[in-house]
Amino acid sequence: MARQYEEVTVRGYDEFMKAVSQRKGKDVFAYFSGSKNEQGFSWCPDCVKAEPIVRGELGYLPPGSVFIYCQVGERSYWKDPNNEFKKTLKLSGVPTLLRYGTPQKLVEEECFKKDLVRMMFTED
Amino acid sequence: MGNSVCKGKTVFMDTTRIKSLQNSSTGVIKAGEHKIKSHLSTESQGLSCFTQDHSDQRDGREIVQGFLGQNKVMIFSVTSCQLSAQVKELFRSMKVSYCVLELDQREDRQEIQQALWELTEQRELPSVFVNRQHIGDWEKTSQAHREGRLQALLDMQEVNLSPDLYDYDLLVIGGGSGGLAAAKEAATYGKKVVVLDYVTPTPKGTTWGLGGTCVNVGCIPKKLMHQAAILGQAIHDSQRYGWELQEKVSHNWRNMRQAVQDHIGSLRFGYSKALRDSKVTYMNAYGEFVGPHQIKATNSKGKETFYTAATFIIATGERPRYLGIPGDKEYCITSDDLFSLPQSPGRTLVVGASYVALECAGFLAGLGLDISVMVRSILLRGFDQHMANKIGEHMEQHGVTFIRQFVPTKIERLEEGSPGKLKVTAKSTDGKETFEGEYNTVLLAVGRDACTRTIGLDTVGVKINVKTGKIPVNEEEQTNVPHIYAIGDVLEGKLELTPVAIQAGRLLARRLYAEHSTKCDYTNVPTTVFTPLEYGACGLSEEDSIQKYGEDNIEVYHSNFWPLEWTVPARDNNTCYAKIICYKQDSERVVGFHVLGPNAGEITQGFAAAMKCGMTKEQLDNTIGIHPVCAEVFTTLSVTKRSGGDIAKGGC
Repeated sequence: MARQYEEVTVRGYDEFMKAVSQRKGKDVFAYFSGSKNEQGFSWCPDCVKAEPIVRGELGYLPPGSVFIYCQVGERSYWKDPNNEFKKTLKLSGVPTLLRYGTPQKLVEEECFKKDLVRMMFTED
Repeated sequence: MGNSVCKGKTVFMDTTRIKSLQNSSTGVIKAGEHKIKSHLSTESQGLSCFTQDHSDQRDGREIVQGFLGQNKVMIFSVTSCQLSAQVKELFRSMKVSYCVLELDQREDRQEIQQALWELTEQRELPSVFVNRQHIGDWEKTSQAHREGRLQALLDMQEVNLSPDLYDYDLLVIGGGSGGLAAAKEAATYGKKVVVLDYVTPTPKGTTWGLGGTCVNVGCIPKKLMHQAAILGQAIHDSQRYGWELQEKVSHNWRNMRQAVQDHIGSLRFGYSKALRDSKVTYMNAYGEFVGPHQIKATNSKGKETFYTAATFIIATGERPRYLGIPGDKEYCITSDDLFSLPQSPGRTLVVGASYVALECAGFLAGLGLDISVMVRSILLRGFDQHMANKIGEHMEQHGVTFIRQFVPTKIERLEEGSPGKLKVTAKSTDGKETFEGEYNTVLLAVGRDACTRTIGLDTVGVKINVKTGKIPVNEEEQTNVPHIYAIGDVLEGKLELTPVAIQAGRLLARRLYAEHSTKCDYTNVPTTVFTPLEYGACGLSEEDSIQKYGEDNIEVYHSNFWPLEWTVPARDNNTCYAKIICYKQDSERVVGFHVLGPNAGEITQGFAAAMKCGMTKEQLDNTIGIHPVCAEVFTTLSVTKRSGGDIAKGGC
């Protein structure tokens, strides 16, 4: 299936910012999730629940856009209120789905609502 | 307006009653049926209508609406009238069937003519309607025919669906404060709702998204920029409080603009989420009525979609007015452009004396810009003039130049650039003097016009005030067309405030869909003007209270006050002012509350609730003040205006 968007997987804040800076001028959507262990399970139950819903709507992404799947780190790292995601990107919780450089953001239970996810991918 | 809304349910025209009239052969006889009634003359295509049975007295308005609803072409006429005959002849020549009601044959002629006048402001007969739309008298009808409009109207498809087949229960035109509140409320009752919102770009090309004026180009950015100006003053005052500033303090417009726009963006996205969550459909498209229950929605790419709904709410708000002088649209900006202006406006001339003009001039001056205000006559028309003048004086003392009793006559561009340089030429109101000035920016704030002229209201017969564009409604926000309502700034004679529109919208939805009967209370609505010296008010101005009760029946208590926070930095000690107006014949009930000073809005809110409870001067006096705050002055007012006593304050 030909994808209209580019998917990028990163781990941690530095990798995320690098991926973003390499894609200046593009429409960048980012999904932040608690990191998965070797078995592929995340410590964040909401992230586990939201991921298939978000993935289900990826087909609505505008052509030429970028979808960054970012694992933020272990639970202990996330719980620290001074972690870089909280401090610099102003994230308040995981999962978070946002459109980089805009105020468009869906946080936690909002990510469970496929209507809202679709709305974010399709609205100007 | 009559009682066509009962118990919160929308009542459609009861056509079965009209049908029963027909069946009992005491009513309308349509063209094509060849029933001939005894004492009337008949014509081949149009037949007269009459009532024999007067036991069934009905409201004139209901009778008119009944005929309009049943007949594509409806003529209210007089048998002896030459012009009526000509109208009938016109339709015959077009081979169009029509229905005629000969009013000289009817005993309820007066009621019907009164209803016609209320509906159309036309007294003369014949009065011609096509598809419920009022064409006019003979002259207007023949003109419409010459211009092809008559045929166009006749050709228009009328969507004759039963209520079950409408696309939506409710269609709201306008996604601002009022529209969104009504839509969301209706959706909570399980109704199928659609909101159409579209922003026509300004002459400068500025546009924005969902949320209406308040969020995008009104209250929200205004208050944020007002706060930016206040903080500038605070930085200045802080030195007296011991803060040591290392660098020179200056203001960066771009950073402020970005922060304000970011916040507005997040609010807008919040609105989109809330709408989607409440299952309200939102279309970014321009809505126009094309039929009684049908709207054409055109999106930014020109694509047209049609929607039908049982009920409509018009909440299209207003846009800034231009002066109609050379150069106004090309070179001037309005509040629609100001809050997203990419560069600082620089030396600015604000034209107007509305609260928009004074608030904008106020915060721009507070940010350190060179500001002038050109005023035609008085400040803040409609507000208490004593307070308005104090606001103006304060602004003048703090560096704003007022150019009084002048009106601009032309705007020219001297230099291109952002912002560039403009030349303003103005004339004094007595015509004797000319003024010329150079500014980087000219901001027009001379009033706002309702967005009702191009949404097809004449197609569906919704009456508007032709001069102002505003829509008159009854106490239930219903227009003259029973299934079409209006809320917010478009309303005639109502306060143009966000919370008023929201309240009206919510209550309307509850009356329509939740069997409530509460109507919006437009009295004692508190407001605040966010000029550098903030002004909070609730209830009557001094002028209005004198007019309503008579000067002898009111007592005005007043006092200056000096906020404690202003003492240390030695800010104006006799500028802040408190005033209440009491009605002597009703235990000195407080009918007007006015405060000039910092945080005026926060102060006023509580007192507005007290006024709703009927607070009297005595109750106020029995309330112990909080110390040391500005608001406590209201608990110790003793000097009346009448006594002429001194109210100068030395601080606490």
